[in-house]
Amino acid sequence: MNLVSVIGLGNVFLGDDGFGPLAIETFRCEYECPPSVEVLDLGTPGLDLAPYLYDKELIIVVDTVHSDAAVGTLSIFHEEDFLSHKAKLRITGHDPGLWDALAHLRLAGHAPSELIVLGVNPESCEFAEGISDEVSGTAGEAAAIIAHSLTDRGISCVPMQPPAVLKLWWLNKGYAERSRTA
Amino acid sequence: MARISIDPVTRIEGHLRVDVEVDGGVVNKAWASCTMWRGLETILRGRDAREGWVFAQRFCGVCTTVHAVASVRAVEDALSLEIPPNAQYIRNLILIGHALHDHIVHFYHLSALDFVDILQIPKADPAKAASIAEGSSSWTGNSRQELAAVQTKVKGLVASGQLGIFSHGYWGHPAMKLSPEVNLILFSHYLQALDFQRKSCQVVAILGGKTPHIQNLAVGGVMNAINLNSLATMNMDRLGMLKAILEDLIPFVQQVFLPDTCLLAAYYPEYFRLGRGVANYLAVPDLPLDAKASKFDLPGGVIMNGNLAVVRPIVDWQDAEFRKAVTEDNTHAWYEGGQFPPYKGQQIPDYTDFKEDAKYTWVKAPRYNGSPMQAGPLANVLVGYASGHALTRKWTDTAFNRIAAVNGLKVTPDDLQSTMGRYLARSIRSAMLSDLALEHLQLLTTNILNGDNTTYNAPQFPTGEIMGMGMHEAPRGSLSHWVVIDKGVFTNYQAVVPTTWNASPRDEKGVPGPYETSLIGSPVVDAEKPLEVLRTVHSFDPCMACSCHTLDAAGKEIAEVKVQ
Repeated sequence: MNLVSVIGLGNVFLGDDGFGPLAIETFRCEYECPPSVEVLDLGTPGLDLAPYLYDKELIIVVDTVHSDAAVGTLSIFHEEDFLSHKAKLRITGHDPGLWDALAHLRLAGHAPSELIVLGVNPESCEFAEGISDEVSGTAGEAAAIIAHSLTDRGISCVPMQPPAVLKLWWLNKGYAERSRTA
Repeated sequence: MARISIDPVTRIEGHLRVDVEVDGGVVNKAWASCTMWRGLETILRGRDAREGWVFAQRFCGVCTTVHAVASVRAVEDALSLEIPPNAQYIRNLILIGHALHDHIVHFYHLSALDFVDILQIPKADPAKAASIAEGSSSWTGNSRQELAAVQTKVKGLVASGQLGIFSHGYWGHPAMKLSPEVNLILFSHYLQALDFQRKSCQVVAILGGKTPHIQNLAVGGVMNAINLNSLATMNMDRLGMLKAILEDLIPFVQQVFLPDTCLLAAYYPEYFRLGRGVANYLAVPDLPLDAKASKFDLPGGVIMNGNLAVVRPIVDWQDAEFRKAVTEDNTHAWYEGGQFPPYKGQQIPDYTDFKEDAKYTWVKAPRYNGSPMQAGPLANVLVGYASGHALTRKWTDTAFNRIAAVNGLKVTPDDLQSTMGRYLARSIRSAMLSDLALEHLQLLTTNILNGDNTTYNAPQFPTGEIMGMGMHEAPRGSLSHWVVIDKGVFTNYQAVVPTTWNASPRDEKGVPGPYETSLIGSPVVDAEKPLEVLRTVHSFDPCMACSCHTLDAAGKEIAEVKVQ
């Protein structure tokens, strides 16, 4: 039974929106966790998030969050922040998303016990632009925050020695250049 | 005359704007506009054809698997490469798991609240609701206690004054017609459905290695290792686990989902006379039963002008007419103009803002021998019913009998050509797929027990240009990927997706697409709350290609209805 999920959200082809998937892969490469911790790139699932939150003890979502802070700033939100509207999830057309999935699960009695959103302030979420240096540079820090959040809650999470090499099929340089010349 | 602009339409997947002109309380003109560009085909050019599916399944954040499978089928078609029977069955089971998930989410979580009025639920009598529900279904989750518990939750929500995600519903709208008890039954299933959409995801995850974005595909088959003597591969335990999940899921589909849509149909008979739209239907054959893909469990075909007496069958994926008939027209889409067959298709952006007489959407206008076509579960069910397909007839007739048992309403196959027909067809198709899930699991198990462990035939790429087309009858309808390959690398890639057929704009001749046509004649009682329009738009299960997923720390409401 996986009781903890570390979830990366975002479209890997839309520039800095790929931060969530990048950060969770960085975490997977740099830390070792028990099998009760699942690390998942969920892309842009909208309401289809619900099955991945169902009956979990802890969910850590890594995503892009627009704010007035400098590009690359990491911020942490807890579920109470959303409930008190301090940080309301943006409602886009494609995305009833996290907020709706949570509300459904809460009503059905299957919501996760705790939810944390780790957000980065993006520079640009444009098609095929790649992740900006300011944003990709914070992936290691994001992985460390994920690790601390787990150890704080008594879940074992130790640095991998040596860390695994990050290999992401969507991040290899060249596709943006190729698409421009195609 | 009033002009209503809904931008974006919510409770769908993707970015859709719908504009309607209303005269005397009735829609007389409509435009559907997709507000997001899909650029993935451009990325695919220049990529290795063996890895195309990994990219293609990012066409969408929801229907990932369907694009992965259509992509490998297209490359296999170009190579005339057969895949082993095990690979066909494993792919079929993944596609069925995905489709059941999608149809359950669409009915309960994306569209039921267009018909269910939450504010009526506190008035319901749970005992009466239980007797209604138990009268129409043998499902065990309909007890008075269960329904009373759901009612208590809703009462608490309503009393708190904070309806949260339910605060934007059109509660109390004059077009809401269910009794308090039926509202309670459907909302109770809305909550239970969360568990069953999860189970259908498990089917995809067990076979695909991960969901969303399956990992087990390959051009030439699948990468699932089969060894009955190994703990680490596909073995009898794994097959047994799949069977147990399906046996849990199937009663929900057949005894809850199907009866619920029948209940809805009985209470909203006027929606059998609304939303017919483009009455040309396209369904492609799917769930192949052999390595050559010469026999299928879901029949394909074309029906024109609503005439259910004539079906032009699409017998297999080699169908010559289909390959010639499909074109895409850019006259009203934000691309450089012209009509192109998919192999020569291109998407050079030419954005102009929303201009209703010129270009107004990112969706191209696909045409079949020059005609717009409606795709989706309705096309699937009508083609099956009209061609005498036994499984389609069994579940369609079951649905008709259930509706008649509620209040005597008699529904015919012709009535299905409507907004309500699209809702019903989705649950009929789900019931069919739930039968087929067990059948394909049995086919896989038998084949493995007969000693066949093969899952992959290695592809060989020739030098010189080759072309191929891969089909799939996806949850939202007929999908085709068209590829041109040279030395193992894509030189062109086009996906003609179900929502492109349905959300098609006008073409060169000014002929509108299915969404647009289906809205003509729709009543709009309250222009500020165009619920009737949303019901018909939602009946298609819109899925515009998914895109940027971001949170807004400051909080910003974007969805709005503008009346001019």
